[in-house]
Amino acid sequence: MTSAAWRRAEARLVAWFATQERRPAPFQRAAWRAWRDGRNGLIHAPTGTGKTLAAAGGPLIDAVLSPQTGLQLLWITPLRSLATDTAQHLAAAVEAMELPWRVLRRTGDSGSAERAKLRRGACELLVTTPESLALLLSYPDARERFTRLRGIVVDEWHELIGNKRGTLLQLGLARLRQWLPELRTWGLSATLGNLDEALHALAGDGVLIGAATKKKTIIETALPEAGERFPWAGHLGLSQLPRVLDAVLGARTSLVFANTRSQAELWHEALSSVWPEAPETLALHHGSIDPKLRFATEEALRVGALRCVVATSSLDLGVDFASVERVVQIGSPKSVARLLQRAGRSGHQPGMPSRILCVPTHLLELAEIAAARHALETGHLEPRRPMRGCLDVLAQHLLTMALGGGFDADAAYAEITSSLAYANLPREQFDAVLAYLQTGGSALASYPEYQKLVQTDGRYHVDSGRIARMHRLSIGTITSDGTLQVRYMKGARLGSVEESFVSRLRPGDKFLFAGRHLELVRVRDMTAYVRASTHRRGGVPRWMGGRMPLSGELSDELRLTLAGGSGGTAEMRALRPLLAVQDNQSSIPAIDETLCEATRTREGDYLFVFPFAGRLAHEGLAAVLAYRLAQMRPGDYGYAVNDYGLTITAARMPALDAETMRRLLHPWGLRTDIRASINLSELARRQFREIARVAGLVFNGYPAQGKTLRQLQASSGLLFDVLRRHDPAHPLLWQAEREVLDQQLDYSRLRACLLRVARSRLVWHETKRLSPLAFPLWVERLRGGIAADDWKTRVERMLASLEAGADA
Amino acid sequence: MTHDIEVAGERLTLHAHRALYWPARRMLMVADVHFGKGAVFRRAGIAVPSGDTEDDLARLDGLIDTFAPATLAVLGDLVHGNATERSAWVDDVRAWRRRHHATDMLLIAGNHDRHFDVASLGIDVRPGHLHVAPFVLAHHPERHEGGYTLAGHVHPGVAVRDGWRKHRLPAFVFDRDVGMLPAFGTLTGLHDVRVEPGRRIVAATPAGLIPMRL
Repeated sequence: MTSAAWRRAEARLVAWFATQERRPAPFQRAAWRAWRDGRNGLIHAPTGTGKTLAAAGGPLIDAVLSPQTGLQLLWITPLRSLATDTAQHLAAAVEAMELPWRVLRRTGDSGSAERAKLRRGACELLVTTPESLALLLSYPDARERFTRLRGIVVDEWHELIGNKRGTLLQLGLARLRQWLPELRTWGLSATLGNLDEALHALAGDGVLIGAATKKKTIIETALPEAGERFPWAGHLGLSQLPRVLDAVLGARTSLVFANTRSQAELWHEALSSVWPEAPETLALHHGSIDPKLRFATEEALRVGALRCVVATSSLDLGVDFASVERVVQIGSPKSVARLLQRAGRSGHQPGMPSRILCVPTHLLELAEIAAARHALETGHLEPRRPMRGCLDVLAQHLLTMALGGGFDADAAYAEITSSLAYANLPREQFDAVLAYLQTGGSALASYPEYQKLVQTDGRYHVDSGRIARMHRLSIGTITSDGTLQVRYMKGARLGSVEESFVSRLRPGDKFLFAGRHLELVRVRDMTAYVRASTHRRGGVPRWMGGRMPLSGELSDELRLTLAGGSGGTAEMRALRPLLAVQDNQSSIPAIDETLCEATRTREGDYLFVFPFAGRLAHEGLAAVLAYRLAQMRPGDYGYAVNDYGLTITAARMPALDAETMRRLLHPWGLRTDIRASINLSELARRQFREIARVAGLVFNGYPAQGKTLRQLQASSGLLFDVLRRHDPAHPLLWQAEREVLDQQLDYSRLRACLLRVARSRLVWHETKRLSPLAFPLWVERLRGGIAADDWKTRVERMLASLEAGADA
Repeated sequence: MTHDIEVAGERLTLHAHRALYWPARRMLMVADVHFGKGAVFRRAGIAVPSGDTEDDLARLDGLIDTFAPATLAVLGDLVHGNATERSAWVDDVRAWRRRHHATDMLLIAGNHDRHFDVASLGIDVRPGHLHVAPFVLAHHPERHEGGYTLAGHVHPGVAVRDGWRKHRLPAFVFDRDVGMLPAFGTLTGLHDVRVEPGRRIVAATPAGLIPMRL
């Protein structure tokens, strides 16, 4: 291709920019040229700066120069709701370039007409999700469909990189690159702490292109007024309702972000009880609400029909809403990157800063907000690490490969280890997963009747149509195990809640869900049928895994802030009286100190440790510490954690001092102690849900398919028990234990934290009353503990406590 | 491992292995055994190692040794689904039946039992329900005129608090006119029941029984 021809084609695109009174930004031109040179790349820029056209420009110009029919460009987006918008946006650009391209969208909710068109190969540009790509790869003619493909663009890569959907996508990309060595891979991402790694995971190598325009972000805080009684603990923050209402009414449209779905429900309820405007101008948006209702809310937001939406991270990403003027964050955002992303939902006009109002739910969150602002100013953002070596996703993908033309084991191993996610996968683990698919499990156990994969002439494939169908129905990595649909008697769906919540209700009970007051009518076929209730009372469902831990970056900043590193911000001035109390009763930890407190109360002895390492790492540490205490003095130790520290409680604690604490917190023997202390198998049992589903070990049939499939449903917990008993070497059990250590207990962070504690000066205080740092831990629910743990002792303990209850 | 309870004027012995013994009639009762459930799963491409049926048979052996019953009554769903020539569990169950040829065995047919010819195992199959005064043995926990119903089908379970945690456990549930047995099979799930006035609940753990108090 001649450079002049490229420039002529590029001019067409520039002319289209001009019709909208815009000019291509330097980063956009840089991306187009990098594409021309056949390179891969990652474009990082805030939302609303033109990333889409930066990535699409290259392929469009290319297509003008060498027109072809058949699928040319694949556009992957993490959200189905984004697909429609992106497809429209790209179609406009295609038209401006006078290309005869057909633009299609294929997601889980595409209609059959769209799917049929796609099967005939009738499009040049396809917008789809990682799961739909995996599905396309599972058809026998997968390779032919992609022969004309020139490039892939992955939108919002930062949303995918850290989870199993990203792992699945990496495997899909490896598959396509194997078939098409010339394929170009591009990604679009928000700013991350580890952009190099993000690029590496996506494309192997390539260029990093950033937008030079740095958008300004202003973080404001709803400060308590002088003399206002502000809570020391808590996480709902409803006492701040008047301030939030004022802020919301002062803007055309506002987004109010809560950290959990329950909190969002309660805030929506609170706002609606004082809402002065038309009720339909206030809406609620979270991940358990039915997609149709969510899309309706998004649509209303887009056309500017709403004044306020209370949301969770379900609205963190997605299309831009021009009408949003104000963003409110209830409670600490827990991560600098999330704060930046949420703030970026406001102020879309060029040159306007993004603004976010942070509303603390308890006093110490003021310090978190100050810390987050400082982190943002110094560009101290969190990384998102790609997951490594997930055996469940591998199992799913191998079955997809077997369906999509079959594979040879050595070639498949080479292809899979070419992705970053599996670069270090030992061959034995690969073979173990293959054996699981072929025979059911490890060589130790017997699985008659079971054969998912079969081998003929050295190639693996699937023989049974039923297995193929079941696999295609369950492709993907998002789990919805253990949830019930909520719908009206008349049929309209409202969303889903956890089974454990519904099982506590009986017909006639009232509850709050999707911003509505509902009454349970009956539960049938995994569906909770409800009707609208006139009574405004009843519980709010809790969803599992709601609360995010404080990020490592923010924790570091918070320690600095509390130690006095970030000067006299308004937040820290408001916090001064509280810190004075802390200093008086105990002390404020300096940056090279670790604070420990002991308090004797009527209910028993409490030990407090404040490593500031986030709730996950604290949970692991609490278990280890309780275990080590029980070694010193046998007994029952319970513990609770928050993002700042942990508490251990016992009827009588052994005698402790700074020197003993230093020994108890030593990193030596951590891995052994954590295995001994935490009931790993109980935690792994919970983690196994998702793994079992991703790896195709349990199958959630579709409700419409009736009883024959329901006969096949078993809870993952039962399968876990059976596997542990009859096939303890099963690769998926290993995966579950590893995920508990890595994710639930944040093992690497826990270890780093203990190394830091070992180097720091240990400060020991025996306090008469609970200090302001200790108080929030004291009111936390006990999360776990160390106690003798066979069924015999458990039964004795439960019987004893039931007896005690009867005597009282 | 056992707990005695009075129901409809009769003394019943509950056993932690999820069985009930009625000394007056020397009758051992279990419900919802679901033999062959693992095999049904494996045929559908869900990898459950075999061993569930052996575990269940071993527990039944232990119970028969302990109580030496004249009759073993299964309150429905003895089997989970149909079998093929590769289903080893059928042979295991036949061999087990032969070992206990002196014990009468009867099955109140449940919804799952229609998939398989249980009579071919040497077990007496009764459709519907069976009066054995003062009880009515049934699969579905429904009231019957002229007797207190003992039934299965529901797989009742209850959450029991244990300090800072909770265990979900299979349970015996006795209401005014109907009593429900926990599911016997290893590969069976739980359906939570409520603790409420007038209802007696005994939770079963591998190491003993826990009578719940209101």
